[in-house]
Amino acid sequence: MKAIIFLGTASGAGKTTLNAVYCRHLRQIGARPAPFKASNLSLNSYVTADGREIGMGQAFQAWACGLEPTIEMNPVLLKPTGKGTMQLMLLGKPVADLSSTRPMDREKVLATVGAAFDRLQDSCGVVVCEGSGSPAELNLQKTDLANVGLMRLRQVPAVLVADIERGGVFAAIYGTWLLMPPDVRPLLKGFIINRFRGDAVILRYGIDRITELTGMPCLGVVPYRALRFPAEDSMSDTEGRLSGQDVHQAFLDNLDRLLADATDAGLDLATLDRIASLST
Amino acid sequence: MAESTESPSSVMFLLTEQVHGAVSWMDTITKKVSQEIAAGDIGPNLSCRYHPSHFTGQDCTFCYCPFYPCRDQTFGYDVTRENGELVWDCQDCLFIHRHAVAQFVMHEIKDKGLAAGDSRPLQEVLSEAKRRYWHRGRALMVVGATSDAGKSVAVAAICRILHRAGYLVAPFKSQNMSLNSRVTVRGCEISMIQMLQAQAAGLTNADEHMNPILLKPKGDTVSQVMVEGKPFGDYTVEQYYKEFVPGPGREAVKRNLDFLLDRYDMVVMEGAGSPAEINIYDADIANMQAAALADADCLLIVNVEWGGSFAYAIGTIELLSPADRARIKGIILNNVRGDPQKLRGGADELAKRVGIPVVGIVPHLDIDLPNEDSEVFRGRNSRGTGSKRIAVIKLPRIANFTDLDPLSLEDTTVVYVTRPEELAGAGAVIIPGTKNTVGDMHWLEQTGLADAIRGLKEKVPIVGICGGYQMMGRVLHDPHGLEGEGPGDTPGLGLFDSESHWDSYDKRVIRDRGELIDGGGEVEGYEIHMGKTDSREQPLFRITSHGRRDETEGSVRSAQMLFGTYLHGVFDRPAFRTKLMNLINAGGAPAPAAPSKDYAAEVDRNLDRLADGFESALDLSFFRKLLRGEL
Repeated sequence: MKAIIFLGTASGAGKTTLNAVYCRHLRQIGARPAPFKASNLSLNSYVTADGREIGMGQAFQAWACGLEPTIEMNPVLLKPTGKGTMQLMLLGKPVADLSSTRPMDREKVLATVGAAFDRLQDSCGVVVCEGSGSPAELNLQKTDLANVGLMRLRQVPAVLVADIERGGVFAAIYGTWLLMPPDVRPLLKGFIINRFRGDAVILRYGIDRITELTGMPCLGVVPYRALRFPAEDSMSDTEGRLSGQDVHQAFLDNLDRLLADATDAGLDLATLDRIASLST
Repeated sequence: MAESTESPSSVMFLLTEQVHGAVSWMDTITKKVSQEIAAGDIGPNLSCRYHPSHFTGQDCTFCYCPFYPCRDQTFGYDVTRENGELVWDCQDCLFIHRHAVAQFVMHEIKDKGLAAGDSRPLQEVLSEAKRRYWHRGRALMVVGATSDAGKSVAVAAICRILHRAGYLVAPFKSQNMSLNSRVTVRGCEISMIQMLQAQAAGLTNADEHMNPILLKPKGDTVSQVMVEGKPFGDYTVEQYYKEFVPGPGREAVKRNLDFLLDRYDMVVMEGAGSPAEINIYDADIANMQAAALADADCLLIVNVEWGGSFAYAIGTIELLSPADRARIKGIILNNVRGDPQKLRGGADELAKRVGIPVVGIVPHLDIDLPNEDSEVFRGRNSRGTGSKRIAVIKLPRIANFTDLDPLSLEDTTVVYVTRPEELAGAGAVIIPGTKNTVGDMHWLEQTGLADAIRGLKEKVPIVGICGGYQMMGRVLHDPHGLEGEGPGDTPGLGLFDSESHWDSYDKRVIRDRGELIDGGGEVEGYEIHMGKTDSREQPLFRITSHGRRDETEGSVRSAQMLFGTYLHGVFDRPAFRTKLMNLINAGGAPAPAAPSKDYAAEVDRNLDRLADGFESALDLSFFRKLLRGEL
């Protein structure tokens, strides 16, 4: 199996963007990537060519891969409808309104996720997955689909993305590792520190200590760039302003620039490729 | 000489400074104390125009201390006058203003039939009072898993909760990095957040001990380091950690914590960033080292808004050294949107994993308080949804932007503007302060904003504050390049017949009280600026601060609606804000309007609401144990 999942220590840690950056790299080396996110909680959706809704993030990642977005890339979409209820969409079709008294049929949904993942894998070279929020939410871990759920389901190896901008980055990485269920923890293969400003030398001791504690190597310290789209979770910033080819091209150009910068800053693409089983 | 203030303790201080020959200030004090003894126990003197001169609820029986000069190093210290003479300074002592102390002292004086000036028996009364009522305070510290975790507001809330419970409480933060400082009554700069927390604690005069180290970024790599409110030196990041922190930095933290612990029941400390930055652990004097110096119990606060909060909490705790970890007594999950109880199961599991209880799940509290990171820096471009649009020029090095917060008390939408077309529809333009007037003036010209502002002259009110006021003049003379843009002259906006110059590396830091010269009421604020302004315009304010009655401040052209002032906080009191709103409401012509709200009073009400919000979310039995040191 050729697949990798980018997990985040928090929302907005940068997993959507780094996933897309890695897709650009894979496309450049001819590895035929395709994006995947088991489930999205969002009102910001894109409509595929066959008229089905997926999360905006996967649409952009598909373009980064040079693909037309398809429903397999995001089989589960949860749309908040207010007052604690959510509409559950499976493969782009509304199937139920969920609430605390009407929970999701998790077995059925997981089966749909697994089948979509398998179909996607059959049609591409590498499935580049994205987690959702933090995988370490103790109150959500049992019902999680996009993080621990998918990792267990298909044994997908993971890279943890942590945002240094607000501080506490070492605590975020170590804490997330600590709170991963023991059966899933060995799938955590490395971490990336994102949005760093300054000279990364000052992080050295902290990075080494985290590696010592967890066994995870640091795969890169990615420099800060004012690049935060597509803003999957933000329902205000990008809505209604993403149509048009120019935006796509600007997005792809930004990704390529970030890929070049991150590579210059030492992003360890060779190890990422190994984790995704592209080489040994 | 220290800046004159109008509180009695400072009157005493001034007396010590103003001794000239015949009249002895000791005689004055003895006379005052005799009057106080005759008047007996009066409690808080609410009718005094200086009340509360130290803290809300203080006992005013002894406005002048019967023990002066007590020479007790716990309460005061010697200062050296210019002629070399030592003078006892106890302006920070609050002991005699505690109700129990004042009552006891008055009772003893009456009981023993003592009079003012009976120094030896009075010293015995002081010794007994100290034995009964003085004890070193306890420290409590809030550390955060990240920046923006809610440390500042939690400290403000705890200060207010403790103040309401009758504690004498002081806020403390070792070190702040901020361009948003405030000026204390003694002319020292501290962070605006500690000022706000001091207000929450019921204190009248925040002082430099509450924020002993203030870093003001000068460029990408160099910061000006202020110690106890005064410039100490410029440091690069590396020098700061290698030279400043282990020596003078650590000393300053210890000295000032000791100072506060001698004077207050509780010192509520705020950490900085995360305490678990293991790459700089030994050089971090703002978190666990400060906690150790004060022997503080700590609470860890985590913002749940971005997710990953359980991971941040356990990761932070597990990365601390064992001794530091033992200080963390509780975890607060902050800023929860939706039903807080949904987090309860996860919180219980977290508590089990780390062996530390989750002692509060605090909902998102929508309370408007002055904020260190204002909208300007959060990428938001406007504030409020009122009908009057006020354009604030978003200068690249904008400073003291909290000046603008009170505008949201009015029917306004404040928009931060970086392009000329964004000025459309503005009812007024405000040019705020900046860390670099010359550089930002160049920016104004390059963006076309300078011409756009000139075009609005006489059409809408234009207000310049500090650096913005300097820009409103004809020219900025910087012959030595002190502003950092190289030596030379830069044309200003030319709205005023004034010029500003930077002749020497001098900085003016002073608090002002004043009134609008053409009537309308009082203003209060502070000046922090390099550079001076010579203006041939009518002055805007008459200064009313003690001892400076013949000074004026600012410039005004009423008919053209042009206003310039160095006064930060100029909108806090209603007078000048009302004047501006009247002009806006009348589309240019002044007209009477309903009186505006007093911003300080509004902030105080919001501090109460904040404290209420925390109080109802915290485990109060835990909190009581924490205060008694039983954890």
